[in-house]
Amino acid sequence: MKHTSLTRRGLLGSAAAGAATLAMPTVLRAQPSEYIIGASLPLTGPFATAGQLIAPALSLFESMVNGEGGIDGTNIRFVVEDSGYVPANALANYQRLLASEGSNLVAYYGDSTGFMQLVGPELKGDQARMMTSTSFATELANPETHPYQFMSGPTYADQFDILLQDIAAKGGKTVAFIHSNTEFGTDPIAHGQARAAELGIEVVLIESTKAQGADIPTHVTKLAQANPDYCILQGYVTGVWPQLIGGARQFGLQTKFMGTFWGMEKLIADRVTAEAGPFLEGYQGVMPYRYSYDMEDAPRLQQISEISKVALAGTPLENYMPTWGIQAFASLELLTIALRRAAEAGKDLSVADNVAEQVAGIQDVDLGGYYGTNISMENNKVGVGRVYEYSAETNLFTPTSDWLTA
Amino acid sequence: MGQVFQFAINGLMSGAIYALIALGIVAVYKATRVVNFAHGYVIMMGAYFYYTFAVLLPASDWFPDLTYAPDWLATAKAEAPMFSPAAAYLSWLENLPRIAFGLIAAIIAASLLARVIERFFMRPLLGQSQFAMIMITVGLISVLSGVKSMIWTGDAASVPYLAPNPAIRFEVFGSPVFIFGANLASMVIAIAIFGAIVLWLRRSAAGVAMRAASEDQSTAYSMGISVPQVFARAWVLAAATGAVAGAILAARDGISPSLGLFGFSVLAIVLMGGLDSFVGVFIAAMCVGVLEALVQWQLGGDWVEVTPYIAVLIVILIRPHGLMGSEEVERI
Repeated sequence: MKHTSLTRRGLLGSAAAGAATLAMPTVLRAQPSEYIIGASLPLTGPFATAGQLIAPALSLFESMVNGEGGIDGTNIRFVVEDSGYVPANALANYQRLLASEGSNLVAYYGDSTGFMQLVGPELKGDQARMMTSTSFATELANPETHPYQFMSGPTYADQFDILLQDIAAKGGKTVAFIHSNTEFGTDPIAHGQARAAELGIEVVLIESTKAQGADIPTHVTKLAQANPDYCILQGYVTGVWPQLIGGARQFGLQTKFMGTFWGMEKLIADRVTAEAGPFLEGYQGVMPYRYSYDMEDAPRLQQISEISKVALAGTPLENYMPTWGIQAFASLELLTIALRRAAEAGKDLSVADNVAEQVAGIQDVDLGGYYGTNISMENNKVGVGRVYEYSAETNLFTPTSDWLTA
Repeated sequence: MGQVFQFAINGLMSGAIYALIALGIVAVYKATRVVNFAHGYVIMMGAYFYYTFAVLLPASDWFPDLTYAPDWLATAKAEAPMFSPAAAYLSWLENLPRIAFGLIAAIIAASLLARVIERFFMRPLLGQSQFAMIMITVGLISVLSGVKSMIWTGDAASVPYLAPNPAIRFEVFGSPVFIFGANLASMVIAIAIFGAIVLWLRRSAAGVAMRAASEDQSTAYSMGISVPQVFARAWVLAAATGAVAGAILAARDGISPSLGLFGFSVLAIVLMGGLDSFVGVFIAAMCVGVLEALVQWQLGGDWVEVTPYIAVLIVILIRPHGLMGSEEVERI
């Protein structure tokens, strides 16, 4: 009869083998066959146009990144779901994807300030993933309260700051703020008042309107009575701002109008010009990124243009990527840098702290031309922008300032 | 004082549009005793019909060009300074064919929609409780909103004004007053339509039939009045006037899904004026329009949206049947 005895060496070997077996799932989790980046977009509902313009950008970005070797050799895949611009729907999309993909899900792209506010408190422990979104809400640019959320441009308050700097530089003495009565509209108003005072600009009117279907004659009348040098419009996307400018021009007001990111889309300005005439001539606003047609010394924009000509042939995006798409590209580019750096450091990408640390470490980076300058991440935002002016004749926005920092 | 006049005239121009919208609610109520909660969404559909026929279709390659562009007009337009009154008149003249086509087609389309609603949603409930019919109108809000989303995007867009839109400037007590020409014309159009329809309802046989059906459907039947036809006529009247109001609103503020919400504030105006009183509703519409403009001026936009509701609460506390409503009217 053969005796088997448990020696110390055997015991240690067995323990090591057992530990290795137990650890195997962890190792496997760290190297999934593909990394998932989720996205909720308003493919239906009031902002369906924006969602439908952003969705192709995600698809193009996926092919670009995977063509460059993905993240540490692993491909990425976007899972895009419709939110209908309802924050609760987007939250449900996120939680469902988290449950189905687990640690393969490494990041998420949100569709609104509302979603980012709603999901913020849920981002704890293994429920947290690094997120970026369409929002420039000021409250999100705070690593203390929103450690896992970042934006690829200046907050709305910063955008007001940049516009007010530009107004001061051009000798403007008075300004009006006209904003929608939404959180989006009111976000930068208090900061704008304070900053205007610092710059010696008098705020002669602060006017709140409905986000859609505003009483244009009454608002224009108040603007005419205040008669400011400049008027900054905030909190609108496709409506109200063109009617306000049209009404003011009809009255013969010489006020110069300015907008922030969501009021600076060329497709909207072109459509307004085609439908209602050239009254947007001279309209200005702040843009964190270069327009997609401004491709000189911008290899990434050139690459997007080349891919779009093939992948989006026959669509309106074939020759022009909207600013909303460029925002998505820039945000995801920053996210990818952080994911790659975390992967190179051997960190688990599904742990939001690992990625957040890398996002915060993005400093003095040339992102390939999305911006006209090297950028740095500070307080989970990129606080640079440039003032552009629209020409109804050429249908182009062209820069009228250098890159300004808020 | 000049500024008070400025905002009062702005308010009266809004009030006239409210009155035109309210006309549809009162007409349906007087004929059927049903408060149509979906009327705002019927107006929204009318506005989108106008947008389709005046903007989208004429822009299509396969559709006939509806622009009036003789050489003399092109020359005059090129010579007119931008935003000048001459440019405004010439631009309107150039667009007149598509404006007329859009408005007529929108009225027809809205009327057809009203016939469908009346025939397939309301008529089957004849003889049932009014509460059931009212709930149908509540359900129609979702149906119409869904139909709109299926056909059109949620983007805001511009549509042409029904009338020329020159800027009118003058002084009152030394203060400059500005008025949009198109809004002044819209006020005149709205008041004219309101007045004509009220006179027609009061003096024509159709109007008498409507009042009879409203009083007692069984007796109206026995007197040879086709009650279903009366109902259909009221719905068509509401939708047709709603289409005009929708086109005016869309031209003034831009077209967007939020037009549907106008119905709720106008419903408050109808309750304030008295559910079955055209005159009361007209007065209430004008008062609320002026009140909103003055509130916008003095307190800002955040207060404007609650203004009609606060006004109706105060009036109903003092006069439970509205300014000029009949006392026997049942409240909902």
